Amino acid sequence: MTVTTQTAERERAAFAAVELARNPARPRALQVIAGAFTDWTEMRGDRLFGDDRAVVGGPAQLDERWVMVIGQEKGTDAISRALHNFGMPHPEGYRKARRLMGLAEKFGLPVVCLVDTPAAHAGVAAEERGQAWAIAESLVTMLELRVPVVSAVLSEGGSGGALALAVADRVLALENAVYTVAPPETCAAILYRDAGQRARAAAALRPGVDTAYEIGLVDELIPEPMPGAHAHPEVTIGALRGAIVRHLDELCALDVDALVRARIARYRAAGD
Amino acid sequence: MDRHPNQVMRRRDVARPLAAPGPKLRPVAPAGTVECRGCGRRFGEARFEKHLRVCPDCGRHAVVPAMTRITQLADAGSLDVVRMEIPDRDPLRFDDGVPYPSRVAEARARTRLDETFAVARAAVGAVPVVLACMDFGFLGGSLGSAAGEQFARACDLAVAEKRGLVAVCTSGGARMQEGIASLAQMARCSAGVVGVAHAGVPYISVLADPCFGGVTASFAVQADAILAEPHARIGFAGGRVIEQATYDRLPEGFQTSEFLLAHGMVDAVVERAALRETVARLLVAFSGRR
Repeated sequence: MTVTTQTAERERAAFAAVELARNPARPRALQVIAGAFTDWTEMRGDRLFGDDRAVVGGPAQLDERWVMVIGQEKGTDAISRALHNFGMPHPEGYRKARRLMGLAEKFGLPVVCLVDTPAAHAGVAAEERGQAWAIAESLVTMLELRVPVVSAVLSEGGSGGALALAVADRVLALENAVYTVAPPETCAAILYRDAGQRARAAAALRPGVDTAYEIGLVDELIPEPMPGAHAHPEVTIGALRGAIVRHLDELCALDVDALVRARIARYRAAGD
Repeated sequence: MDRHPNQVMRRRDVARPLAAPGPKLRPVAPAGTVECRGCGRRFGEARFEKHLRVCPDCGRHAVVPAMTRITQLADAGSLDVVRMEIPDRDPLRFDDGVPYPSRVAEARARTRLDETFAVARAAVGAVPVVLACMDFGFLGGSLGSAAGEQFARACDLAVAEKRGLVAVCTSGGARMQEGIASLAQMARCSAGVVGVAHAGVPYISVLADPCFGGVTASFAVQADAILAEPHARIGFAGGRVIEQATYDRLPEGFQTSEFLLAHGMVDAVVERAALRETVARLLVAFSGRR
């Protein structure tokens, strides 16, 4: 094989992995909530401006333990995808999440975040209402939260829009998910000034969650049944549920001061 | 034109179009002369620097290198530059024709900085502070692992020595060449800010043109007070990205300091000539009980 074909092959494989993560049949946040949790009551609105359907949340039971579950929802068909804005939150979504985290802290409920977004929404309204401010506030809130926090990346963890719900005591990820600084299209636009070179960007940036696992931003990869979570969503949800419960059992036994200190120390060294 | 009697229209009050790329003042012939990218007038370099790199004619605020910024903000004779040697990281072995470590080495040689930040102990209006200033000339002020560690160490220093923290933020956002490790820096810098907040020392952030992406969406806006320089472009996603993604028409003055002030996102838009005094006054106010 020539060098050119090898490169092309590598880029094709890298982008195929991104497309696998974007498979529309992968389990979504609402499906995980329905399949792994019971007694969920959805709580809506940020009490400031509106209700962003790209983020859903509320108290629910997980293995007989009450928790606050917050997820980014991409939708499952044309209508629900539009309703949930393809999982791309506006500032209201992050502010709703923050409000629910505040309630969780007040009533001592562990927080479970289901991360599933290509990126935070890029738009005029999002900028006017302080997208950057909403994300920055969420990062601080999650660092300081005085209850255990577990986050799980379902399909795509894209940009600060994902990190805003992924600062946690334990971060899990489904093994075929991607976790990236920005979607490959955006990276290509920035690095090569051409969004069309997304396959090249995907090969260069190694967007798979194994890269995030290597640098310690993700603690555990949840195996998916062959050929991927999209083929057996219930099996995948079961495996994820087991892992979340196991981590919550460990975390809930710890002293909360030590927990918060360890979380801040962990992110103080993030990326090394 | 209807005008409030107290309102004086100056050329700098006229909103500029967004499209203009990095507003740098390029040295042009003859040597020792700079040309304003706003109005095209030429000035002697010495006069221009004395004017804090603000055009004496149209008031356009040009980009300030980090070391110059530190000198502009610190009280005379109070500067103690803190050098940090942080090992370079290239987690992706990134190469887009030029290997990433070569790009970093080139930026380091050109700016004579350790990384994106210049950090110094100083006094501002006699209040002891740690200054952490970003340099847009260092790979677009992008936030990589080393830059994240620089900022976090600046936070630690402020906590250890009970100094206020003053950050001047200008950046294109995350450093794409480091991939996911660069995203993690938003959390690292936030952890630094949390430490500063818990220590009860004040943190003042100054947003300078341009400031975008993961920098705006983390430490740049986690401060006790957020100031912005006139007409600086500040936001999360860039205007071009938004236009391409949504076909939204961008409102006039979109993502400028003045736009953010009107939307309640910053405390004040402060001209560079008044920046040192404003920062000092806030620091004194926030230190009132000590």
